[in-house]
Amino acid sequence: MAEPLVELAGVEHRYRARKADVPALGPLDLRVGAGEFLVVVGPSGSGKSTLLRLVSGFERPTTGVVRVLGDAPVPGRDVGAVFQQPRLFPWQAVAGNIGTALRWAGVPRRDRPERIAALLDQVGLAALGKRRTWEISGGQQQRVAIARALAARPRLLLMDEPFAALDALTRERLQEDVRSLTGEERGVVFVTHSVDEAVFLATRVVVLSDRPGRVALDLPIPLPRSGVPADELRGSADFAALRGEVAAALRAVAA
Amino acid sequence: MAQNEPRRTRPVLLRVAAVAVLSAIWQALVLAEFWPPVVLPGPAQVWDQLLAASDSGNGQGGYAGSTVAERLGVSLRRVGLGSAYGVLVGVVLGLVMGLAPLVRAVAEPFVTFLRALPPLAYLSLLVIWFGIDEEPKVYLLVVAAFPPVAVATAAAVTGVNRQYVEAARALGAGRAGVLASVVLPASAPEILTGVRLAVGVAYSSVVAAETVNGADGIGGMVLNAQRYNQTSVVLLGLVVIGLTGLLIDTAILALQRAVSPWRGRA
Repeated sequence: MAEPLVELAGVEHRYRARKADVPALGPLDLRVGAGEFLVVVGPSGSGKSTLLRLVSGFERPTTGVVRVLGDAPVPGRDVGAVFQQPRLFPWQAVAGNIGTALRWAGVPRRDRPERIAALLDQVGLAALGKRRTWEISGGQQQRVAIARALAARPRLLLMDEPFAALDALTRERLQEDVRSLTGEERGVVFVTHSVDEAVFLATRVVVLSDRPGRVALDLPIPLPRSGVPADELRGSADFAALRGEVAAALRAVAA
Repeated sequence: MAQNEPRRTRPVLLRVAAVAVLSAIWQALVLAEFWPPVVLPGPAQVWDQLLAASDSGNGQGGYAGSTVAERLGVSLRRVGLGSAYGVLVGVVLGLVMGLAPLVRAVAEPFVTFLRALPPLAYLSLLVIWFGIDEEPKVYLLVVAAFPPVAVATAAAVTGVNRQYVEAARALGAGRAGVLASVVLPASAPEILTGVRLAVGVAYSSVVAAETVNGADGIGGMVLNAQRYNQTSVVLLGLVVIGLTGLLIDTAILALQRAVSPWRGRA
């Protein structure tokens, strides 16, 4: 691995509570490289979301170092984020949401319409640019949120349970689309509760232990990334074996 | 918004019906002669008064020198100016209060203090400071109008959903970007609610503002008529003030809907 996209070294994080600090995460050492799709699973309270907040730069670790492309992370620089709720701006239409993101990314005004169209096309919503955000379905909203997060062409995409609120079918469709978001340059860190989702999406799964979250399992997922239909992949013996391994680790830390 | 049209028609009919019924009751009370006509003139008399006071060629230039429309224009100009400056001061102060907790801590008691004062109470002070020309009337309305806007704006800004702000920062927005593209649009509906309150306060204070050398306005007409027991003119003034107030409020409400169609949906 060349220079990692993300590097966590000796990271610990505590939240301030009234009487004593509550340890939320760590100590944790983790590296994520370009092309990796890292999915983090763990029980509630294992610090999955905290991990993403540290990597996105919204919080600093109590001890240890977090680096994104070699520097301390700054929100909005090199990193795109998709949250559990789409968090689209309702005062703007769908295209406007993406346009604003492009403006913040420094894309010149004259280039924006083309980029908006391309991004909407990429998430399969080419016809919905003029719609209001509340007029489209939850799954479509989350697609817009993904397009918006990709507007700045981030090297790293952080996704915090983005499909948790969606129905099963929409969820599977979006998983199939999101699976291809990694590239030579880009890495993804994805947090979920779902073991199936983790194994399907990941090139590597990390299971965090109960609070404070530590790495309980770091498992490469050597499933084919293309050429195999999603249903076939989900039904394969390899998939089932990996699924079993992750589920067992999760049961062990939750016990 | 097309699906809202049928729903809106019925309340309008209902309201027209309510006005008709109230007018009928009013007329019935007048016909029953519980009170002498000087105390309670009927709707027909008020209507006649409107026609008379609107006729600039009636020998007294409408009523006491100006027609109802002219008077309304004068008063609306005062309310317009007072509200406009009041809203401007209120929004700016409210934004600063909302963004800087220290400023809010210092300014909030003063704003609340001002809000508690009846406009007539500080009119005297404004007259001593600024004389009896147009300024103190407009200033009175500014002072009356800005506190509700400031309070609403400050509350709106502090109440902006942190999730939107965080999403914007995650997309690379700086402080100015967050303010212009998130905080202001997210606060707009509440700020406009403050504007509604402010214009209402300004409008209801216009009579107070016109107690001093304001005989040319609609409030001045009411005060003048009171002096001569012209009850129908007083009622005419009240109806005109109330109706225009209602129209202005409806217009602001429509603006609020147009600016923030997403209100209550996201």
